[in-house]
Amino acid sequence: MTNATTRRGALKTLGLGAAAASLPLWARYTNAQTSEPVKIGFQVHRTGIGAAYGRWYDRTTQAAVKLINDGGGINGRMIEIMAEDDGTDPKRGAEVVEKFANQHGCDVGFGTLFSHVVIGSSPRAGELKLPYFVVSEGHHVASGMLNRYTLQPGITDVKSQVQAMAPYVADNLGKKVTMIFPDFAFGHDHRDYFSAAIEAQGGEVLEKIAIPPSETSFTKYFPKIPRDTEVLYHVMVGPAVLTFVKELGEFFGPSRPEMFGFIDSLEAVDIASPGLEYLEGTYFWEGNPRNAQPDQSEHDKFYRAAVGVDDNGASVSDPTDVSTYAHMFGCWETLHVIKAGMEAAGYQGPGDRATLIEAVEAMTDMPHSQAHPQGAKIFNGKTHQVFGHQYISRVEAGRLVKVHTTSIEDTLYPDEVDYTTQAF
Amino acid sequence: MRYIFLFLLLIAPGSALAHASEQGFVLLLPTNAYIAAGVATVALTVLLLARVPARAALGIFRPLLLCRRHGLPLHHVSSCTAALVLGALIWIGLTGSRDPLTNPLPLFVWTVWWIGLVALQGAIGDHWRWTNPWTGPAAVLSHVTEMRPLFRYPVFLGYGPGIAIFFSFALLLLADPAPADPARLALFAGGYWYATLLGVVLFGPRWLIRAEALTILMRSYASVSMLGRKGQHLAAGLPGWKIMARPRTSLGLALFMLILLGTGSFDGLNETFWWLGKLGLNPLEFPGRSAVVTPTILGLIAANIALVVVFGTSIWLGLVVARSNMGLTLAFCLFAPSILPIALGYHVAHYLTSFMVDGQYALKAASDPMTTGADLLGLGQFYVTTGFFNTPGTVRTIWLTQAGAVVAGHVIAILLAHGLALKAFGDHRRAALSQAPLAAFMVLYTFFGLWLLASPRGL
Repeated sequence: MTNATTRRGALKTLGLGAAAASLPLWARYTNAQTSEPVKIGFQVHRTGIGAAYGRWYDRTTQAAVKLINDGGGINGRMIEIMAEDDGTDPKRGAEVVEKFANQHGCDVGFGTLFSHVVIGSSPRAGELKLPYFVVSEGHHVASGMLNRYTLQPGITDVKSQVQAMAPYVADNLGKKVTMIFPDFAFGHDHRDYFSAAIEAQGGEVLEKIAIPPSETSFTKYFPKIPRDTEVLYHVMVGPAVLTFVKELGEFFGPSRPEMFGFIDSLEAVDIASPGLEYLEGTYFWEGNPRNAQPDQSEHDKFYRAAVGVDDNGASVSDPTDVSTYAHMFGCWETLHVIKAGMEAAGYQGPGDRATLIEAVEAMTDMPHSQAHPQGAKIFNGKTHQVFGHQYISRVEAGRLVKVHTTSIEDTLYPDEVDYTTQAF
Repeated sequence: MRYIFLFLLLIAPGSALAHASEQGFVLLLPTNAYIAAGVATVALTVLLLARVPARAALGIFRPLLLCRRHGLPLHHVSSCTAALVLGALIWIGLTGSRDPLTNPLPLFVWTVWWIGLVALQGAIGDHWRWTNPWTGPAAVLSHVTEMRPLFRYPVFLGYGPGIAIFFSFALLLLADPAPADPARLALFAGGYWYATLLGVVLFGPRWLIRAEALTILMRSYASVSMLGRKGQHLAAGLPGWKIMARPRTSLGLALFMLILLGTGSFDGLNETFWWLGKLGLNPLEFPGRSAVVTPTILGLIAANIALVVVFGTSIWLGLVVARSNMGLTLAFCLFAPSILPIALGYHVAHYLTSFMVDGQYALKAASDPMTTGADLLGLGQFYVTTGFFNTPGTVRTIWLTQAGAVVAGHVIAILLAHGLALKAFGDHRRAALSQAPLAAFMVLYTFFGLWLLASPRGL
């Protein structure tokens, strides 16, 4: 009998323990609505295929938030970042957006990079009426695929980047181009946008060589490159990129055509790495010049220092830790657009979300400044997409040296959507 | 809605930003030569062993007595401390940052504990006796309530609950879409801690060694660690010396050990281009864990079944070749512990790279557990780096360290299997014959393990 009583007592104690363990949950939910800061839900690729980018997106975001908060925040309110990992997973992306809106009481969502996650999350943001600021460079925003609540004001899209390359390539490198690209959507975008753009410049694509994404050796594809190729346009991505460069060098030797690529292939990889010597003298698109240039602006200098990046685009704490410099400025600039938008809208809280979107839609010129260290931009309120200068760099002594800056006009294309006609 | 979403996904323009860095350099390494050298090392061990006298082969497992143990009975105190630390971490998991690389709970569970402390348990010695969060609280509970277990642990269950729980753990680790989400992990960890304590209250400490998967795992790995007790002494020896000295493993535990290796191997295979190709996925555009939950579960089950079947067949063949009348179950149980060093080698090799990165985040989180800007450890402006994945020299060192762990695990496994065979059969020739197929299996498994390290991965 005694035994039974004590057993019951023990079980009761355990029961109380369980109730106590759930206390923090109650605390969290009751506090959720009372906080004063502007809450920005940061949808970050902490794990999964995008984690390497996520680390730098996070670092840039933290630096931008510190700068904005040190300067008085947004309308006097501090920014609070609510970072949630989406696992670089579209389904989780949608769940994260839901958490931002329903659980964390975020004012806006921000920061998504990978296209499939943006496309998976954006419809939910639209349904929940949560302004969703993506930093993805995908054409999905301007193509009209998404909704009024999704905007891309801090980074240009791949369509404008690719088409802006064509005038320089045709004028300086050659008009007969062979394209090598991975055989899936990313490569197809390059194939389609660049083919059209180079033809508009009087050039032609001699051959389009699609490489299966799982390929890790490329020698067998190189004989398909026509002999009269003047420019080889390559956008290989993934772990086999270094092998691609090595085998290309073995195939062509010193008598190669001109080569033009997108830095996406070698983002966060030291261009001076052994094995990449063959890239010497070749050209790359850069979203933002990784190496500090002789004409470096004070804004780029300031931005580098704030994020902790040295003149080679690597971490100040480790010169081998190369950043995703061509993309991550998008987080910095987007946060400044959110700030400007909220201030223009007199943003008070979630009730003003539609006003915030209208305020951002009304934006046009974004001058080169501390808020926009990558360069001046023009925002198109109808397509929710920003347009800006693109850079072409040449590899010289293991450094990326800027040789051309496109005009913003080079990057424009006719509107494919007018989101402002959609109801909130 | 769902169909619209699927349609959008299908027509989506891609952004393929898969990272080139570390794996790019691995693909440039002469891994074929390294793999050949690794496999040759293990094969040579097999051939040499056939020539080594039985006494020498057994002698290498004789431990060295270090000193007399002055056992302070503090393990209940340390266990209670561990429980309090876990409680605090769970609290932070629920209330702290939502970022799994900032919140200390996921960093502790998946980096410090699952990678670090498990490896330490297998490589050095049994710290789980001191660091588990149950034995202390259970002792306090039993002392306070003067209560004895309500039920006797049902013998027929054996290690069944332990296997089932470990499998659930593996599902969380490999198939769950968000195992590092702080709040979810807090609920899992808290719920599991509580359920286990309840198990101990109801069934006594036997619950821990039969049904509590993490304790079974830790005790298994402790059996291949270098340090241990021998009589009144602290002793050190070649990994496996404790297995040589202990009684036969039960069938349930033998299966548990195989599942440990099967799961560890699948957690590697499931990231390769090869596996993603089997699933019809583009490895450069991995659609996320939630898209592969079912294939991962099925793959995990299939990998474990395949391993048990192949291992069992090797054992059976060995018995046939050696003309032994030992029963298959008996032999299966005899040799199963010999795969533990392989499982441990995989564990170290597979997680080394994530430990190098996430370990930095863990350090940062320890310095600022509540993300208040605190700097308890005085780290200053601390930027996490992955620069060591960016230079060929460091990538080669990392790769060879991983390969070294895999090869060392297999060499020790071969020595251990041979020692166990000698002990069981007495006769050197029969021992060598009996474990020849098993040795062949281990040589092939070395190849598999090194191939995994050298293969391009999609996530």
